[in-house]
Amino acid sequence: MLHLNRSLDVCNKVLYQQLTKLRFISTTACIFTNGPSTGSKNEQSFNDDDEFRVLDLKRIQQKQPFQRRPMRPKAVVPPPRTQKMAEDQVWSDVWPGPRTFHPAVVPLPVRQGRNRHGPSPDKFGNAELMKIPNFLHLTPPAIKKHCDALKKFCTPWPAGLETDEKCEQHFPIDVITTDYCHSSPTIRDPLARIVTMRFKLGRLPMDRHSRDKFLRLVRDRHDVDTDTVTIVTDRCPLKTQNYQYAHYLLTALFHESWNFEEWEKEKLETDMEYYDWDLNPSKSKVVKIVKAIDPSVDEENLPEEWKSKVDNYREALTQLFNKGENTDTLQNYKDASLKLLF
Amino acid sequence: MQSASLLQRGLHTTSVVHRIQAGRYKRTPRREKPLTYEMAWPPQAIGHFKSWNSWNTTNLVGGLRASETAIEDEFVRRFMTGTWHNLFVSEIIIKRQHNMIRIAGILRRAISAQKMYFLIGYTEELLSYWLQCPIKLELQTVNDKKDVIFKYV
Repeated sequence: MLHLNRSLDVCNKVLYQQLTKLRFISTTACIFTNGPSTGSKNEQSFNDDDEFRVLDLKRIQQKQPFQRRPMRPKAVVPPPRTQKMAEDQVWSDVWPGPRTFHPAVVPLPVRQGRNRHGPSPDKFGNAELMKIPNFLHLTPPAIKKHCDALKKFCTPWPAGLETDEKCEQHFPIDVITTDYCHSSPTIRDPLARIVTMRFKLGRLPMDRHSRDKFLRLVRDRHDVDTDTVTIVTDRCPLKTQNYQYAHYLLTALFHESWNFEEWEKEKLETDMEYYDWDLNPSKSKVVKIVKAIDPSVDEENLPEEWKSKVDNYREALTQLFNKGENTDTLQNYKDASLKLLF
Repeated sequence: MQSASLLQRGLHTTSVVHRIQAGRYKRTPRREKPLTYEMAWPPQAIGHFKSWNSWNTTNLVGGLRASETAIEDEFVRRFMTGTWHNLFVSEIIIKRQHNMIRIAGILRRAISAQKMYFLIGYTEELLSYWLQCPIKLELQTVNDKKDVIFKYV
């Protein structure tokens, strides 16, 4: 305890000394600050009388009367540029590119907006006109200028490709890709990777077997009406990769359809993609009927009279099965059957 | 049957509250509150009597970067209101074409032309640095706030 008290005393002493120092400094500072600024006669007399000086913080003694700050001259705004425009000016020089509408540049008395109680707002201070996209930079003369400027980069259309038929003959494969334009800082779009390839199946050199196998491989990608095969590739991340993959698919399909595998010999009548009269029970029945009518005929070597009838019947029945039932095929079938039987 | 009665008991209904506040301004007794054309029409008039303040392709079918664009637009709006303090008398219009961003709006002529030119360059430079896109400020000035007032409510 004693020790603590003593130390406290020492502390107090030091503090006191510091305080007096501080006070001394602050008083001198006051004199310095007040001395030159308020060197009036009153203060002198106070000092002479050994009185305390009065600190004139608010400076009441020398308060100036209030003066309004002089107004800044207003900026001179020139009248809209439209008033100075010549009537025969070149508009594409005034408005060369896409830009937001500006009323002082466009010399048209346009208005936009709906007002129930008066005329619609005019072009000055009209935010609606600034929002909508304008085509003031795409006037017909401006477009003509653009075309003239681009003309020197154009090349003539290649000779020999005048008609669509000729184009199709020289370029049998159509490749369709899509590029997307977004209002974003990136030009990438995942949908741009998709590649569609189209070609006529008839242009490929194929026999009956390879064509059948090709059709079985491409399934519903073949359109029967136009004989067109459409291959869409989208599994690779890039357009080029999908393009190459589509060509690989075409090559693989073509060569695979020309391959004849051992197991393809096991194809049964139910697997046939078309109706073959010679493989069907219809043939044996016709032979039976012919034999019943005229037992003397040789079924391998039919006489001319029977041969035409049987061929006619075969053709009608094949058409009926392969082309489907309609008025013509049914009528043909009926006629052929009547001819054969009666 | 039991579950049906339970459901019936669990469903409470109240009368519909048709209180819609957003984008509408209450009229004052003396009709002294000024409104711009944009403020004068309620939100359902967008696309009929007034049009959008942000123009971009994000909300079309297959549009990209919808959220990023919305955030960037909000950032641009806040930056513009702060930089051009107390100067805009219209909403800030942000139009995007490809990677170009056009910022349009109507200003009061409260500052000198020199300051305005400085602010245009400053805004374009900073925003193009942040958004990594070319920015164009296409502004229109009016003499006074009253020039854009459409009606009083």
